[in-house]
Amino acid sequence: MLEAFLYFIQQILNGLTIGSTYALIAIGYTMVYGIIGMINFAHGEVYMIGTYVSFVVIAGLTMLGIEYVPIIILAALTIAIIVSSSFGWAIERTAYRPLRGANRLIPLISAIGMSIFLQNFVVNAQGARDVAIPPMISGGWTFGTENFQASLSYMQLIIFIATFICMSALTLFISKSRMGRACRAVAEDIKMANLLGINTNRVISATFVIGASLAAVAGLLLGLYYGVANPHIGFIAGLKAFTAAVLGGIGSIPGAMLGGIILGLTESLTAAYISSEWKDAVSFSLLVLILLFKPTGLLGKQEVEKV
Amino acid sequence: MKSNFSHAVFTAIITFIVSFPLLGLNLVTGGTSMSIEGAGPTTWMYIGAAVAIVFFFQLFRDQFTGLFRHIPKPSFNTGYQSLEPAKKAKVENWFTFAIILIALVWPFMVSRGSIDLATLVLIYVMLGLGLNIVVGLAGLLDLGYVAFYAVGAYSYALLSLYYDISFWLALPIAGIMAALFGFLLGFPVLRLRGDYLAIVTLGFGEIIRIFLLNATSLTGGPNGIGGIDKPTLFGMEFGRRVKEEGNTLFHEVMGISYDSTYKVIFLYLLALILVVITVFVIRRLVRMPVGRAWEALREDEIACRSLGMNRTVIKLSAFTIGAAFAGFAGCFFAARQGFISPESFTFIESAIILAIVVLGGMGSQMGVILAAIAMTVLPELAREFQEYRMLMFGLMMVLMMVWRPQGLLPSKRPHLELADDK
Amino acid sequence: MSSHKKFLKLGAAALLAGAASVASAETIKIALAGPVTGPVAQYGDMQMIGSKMAIQKINEAGGVNGAQLEGIVYDDACDPKQAVAVANKVVNDGISFVVGHLCSSSTQPASDVYEDEGILMVTAASTSPDITTRGYQMVFRTIGLDSHQGPVAGNYIADKIKPGNVAIIHDKQQYGEGIATSVKTTLEEKGVNVVMFEGITSGDKDFSSLIAKLQKANVDFVYYGGYHPELGLILRQSAEKGFKAQFMGPEGVGNNDINAIAGPASEGLLVTLPPSFDKNPANADLVKSFVDVGQDASGAFVLTAYSAVQVLADAMVKTGGTDTDAMQKAMREMNFSTPTGDIQFDEKGDLKQFDFVVYNWHQDGSKTEAK
Repeated sequence: MLEAFLYFIQQILNGLTIGSTYALIAIGYTMVYGIIGMINFAHGEVYMIGTYVSFVVIAGLTMLGIEYVPIIILAALTIAIIVSSSFGWAIERTAYRPLRGANRLIPLISAIGMSIFLQNFVVNAQGARDVAIPPMISGGWTFGTENFQASLSYMQLIIFIATFICMSALTLFISKSRMGRACRAVAEDIKMANLLGINTNRVISATFVIGASLAAVAGLLLGLYYGVANPHIGFIAGLKAFTAAVLGGIGSIPGAMLGGIILGLTESLTAAYISSEWKDAVSFSLLVLILLFKPTGLLGKQEVEKV
Repeated sequence: MKSNFSHAVFTAIITFIVSFPLLGLNLVTGGTSMSIEGAGPTTWMYIGAAVAIVFFFQLFRDQFTGLFRHIPKPSFNTGYQSLEPAKKAKVENWFTFAIILIALVWPFMVSRGSIDLATLVLIYVMLGLGLNIVVGLAGLLDLGYVAFYAVGAYSYALLSLYYDISFWLALPIAGIMAALFGFLLGFPVLRLRGDYLAIVTLGFGEIIRIFLLNATSLTGGPNGIGGIDKPTLFGMEFGRRVKEEGNTLFHEVMGISYDSTYKVIFLYLLALILVVITVFVIRRLVRMPVGRAWEALREDEIACRSLGMNRTVIKLSAFTIGAAFAGFAGCFFAARQGFISPESFTFIESAIILAIVVLGGMGSQMGVILAAIAMTVLPELAREFQEYRMLMFGLMMVLMMVWRPQGLLPSKRPHLELADDK
Repeated sequence: MSSHKKFLKLGAAALLAGAASVASAETIKIALAGPVTGPVAQYGDMQMIGSKMAIQKINEAGGVNGAQLEGIVYDDACDPKQAVAVANKVVNDGISFVVGHLCSSSTQPASDVYEDEGILMVTAASTSPDITTRGYQMVFRTIGLDSHQGPVAGNYIADKIKPGNVAIIHDKQQYGEGIATSVKTTLEEKGVNVVMFEGITSGDKDFSSLIAKLQKANVDFVYYGGYHPELGLILRQSAEKGFKAQFMGPEGVGNNDINAIAGPASEGLLVTLPPSFDKNPANADLVKSFVDVGQDASGAFVLTAYSAVQVLADAMVKTGGTDTDAMQKAMREMNFSTPTGDIQFDEKGDLKQFDFVVYNWHQDGSKTEAK
């Protein structure tokens, strides 16, 4: 009885961990969608690049003989954010800005092309093989009986906390800061915001940069957690995060959080009680089911149809 | 000039940040540890060159744009658009006829590899035309179109495996099966709009693929289904030896020596016939009330409802008919491959078909055909770039969108437009 | 093809043949088909370096029947659709010999074309039994089958380890699931208790749910059918979660990358591998020539690809020409002495004997034979 319960708790913890990282990546989708109404398929690749850059920094600092973990992680975080947001900015500038105002399918295809390009850019730069770093933060708490022990690792806890901090900071930023207000205004009505003297191009660039920074955070955290990266991780993670964003109601930041967590829990519970091979199918079925009853996602705004 | 300079410096720095850590520093695995290695001097040169180019381009941006303005933008329809509708229809008919004629004669002049590639192009043309109904005409964003393609392919493969049903009988069944799936998917998604629809169709595509992968006892799972019969022509087979009892061999009946090129040509002609049928059927459909309704729905859903049009029926018909064509294409694909497995039906396949529709200029048939050729032939031409092939492909997709956002041949209808008040 | 064109081609061929007999500068082209791009490009690499080295060595030794060999790389990205396109391109380019393809799912549809066209194909890496069960004449392979490897692993588990609860995990791909099923059958015949048989998604990164499940089922032995990236992560995450069981995998997990991914957790992993040909003293010179040009000869398919080229070359010498039909007949009767040992082919085109050995894998990437 106790074991079954511990097992359940363990799976919930696993699900929350996966879900948190989905949520971090989903933010990037949701913010871009909220503001210019396009699906940025290349966002997953920015996360992948974040992981690669943090690996480069970690490997570099270790080679230089620096072994104090917090310094390494802080450096990796800073540099990953700088590089990823540069990518976010550059992607918007080259692949999306020239298409502003075109049919909304056009930037979608451009985004898919960008995603293929970035994947293969990293393949050519760093090779297609998996790269791995040794575990940096290990250990954790275990509790349970002799037969089954549930565990929560420090790394998992760090992921929860980091996600929570990022989400709170972002919410504060959107609701309180000048730029945040400008973001909301642009999301509401881009033309009107322009007329009111908001530099919409700047706001859109800022959105991409913020989304990319959060993806870099996710890239570092997941890089540390799994210790492995390859050029194709971005695509899969991106697809999952996009699903999470839609599940929660695309355009809504708390929705992305909720969607990520629900998706993570579904995956982990399906793997636990049904079978790993069906977990993606179950997640997608759940998505279809939720959208049937709430056509704009869990926390999405009911769109008013305008003539 | 001054603002240009600071901007140029900024973009140059970004270029450096974007290229340096990934290109300049390579991760090297050695045993259980990871280290980095500086890249060779050529890579450094490339990075430096990229930074310099971006810097100078941004610095002299005004001059460059001035220069570019003198180069006329490519235009595919000079003079053509100004023709009267009746004359235009006539020209178009002749044009179509000529193309079909060329396509018929062409395989006898070129090499086998080209014919085979052309067959692949034709499959994508069929898929593009089918998806064009859903996306281009009805305006419903479908990211899981590959599901219907898979249903068609597996229908034939399974029927041939378990019931020994021939290609010709399986072809309509595959279409009907795919249409049925389209119909079933259509029901729940009717309530959804825009991008929610996109993700649901994407999910549906994945569910089908995962099902095919996991139902090992039925579909062979990851092993796929092999040994699928090639199509026959009135009971004549194109192989070296007879595979099916009661069939004859093409070359024996014709009294010519065996040449495997006949099979390739036959498959090509078969695909061509399917495509021609597809083109004409869709052309008729578009001129019928249901086709008009699709486009009306795409343009203004609320107006459609106000006019008392049945949204459900219109959307469902688009989904179902679009899916049916994917089913035909899938059936033919299975026959041409002789072997299918779930890995041929991944999301990226959907994305490529969608790219064909969008690149073609949504709604335009000729555009879809041109785009299918571009999307299939260009990666083949890029083969000599070896490992840079997919890199070029991705870049090409972006550039084509930026270069011609309206598509290669946007569909044009005679229409009145109020002054643009946007 | 029009008869006119054919005539021209014939003429050109005759002309070429004439020229060759004078200058003896003819080259025999061999298509090297496999993934150069895509997620499994590193396996394609192994195949390419092995076959290219073989071509180079044979050419240095004077070529075949006075002609030089030339390898031409064709990229199929391990995609069945592209594999058929590649096969047709090979036909188009007038090449009669193929070393490849790599992935079984590419080899299978491509071999249909080769068989029809009388092109001789030797795969150095495709292990799916289906490939040679179709009665084809032109299809050979210089590597063992999944159905050979499974029983070796199964018997070892049942006879040497005698575990309590066994879990079999696979990656839902042709290779992984095939081997896993074969291990499962062997174990069940031997009366070993298999408590779990489950697929994962290849490319996944998080196996925490699976590991908790294994823990709960009190599994003490895990067999994994698939490749190293996923098993590496499973090992790494198991170590972090404190899940201690004996792991075992097929040759797809036995390369140095697993050490990088799993770190110390890869110590003691059991792997069924072809005998490590690169450690064979008879191959020392050959291995050295790989090392000299900065290549690694220890990849699973490097020397099998080398053998594939050599088999073709030997058959050309034996038949004194490049007639593929004569060659395939000869190949079924010949003995080949290759870096992967003395090999013979059976009627199906498979190796008559291909041993798999169980190794203990160590965290520094070395391995010792498990007793």
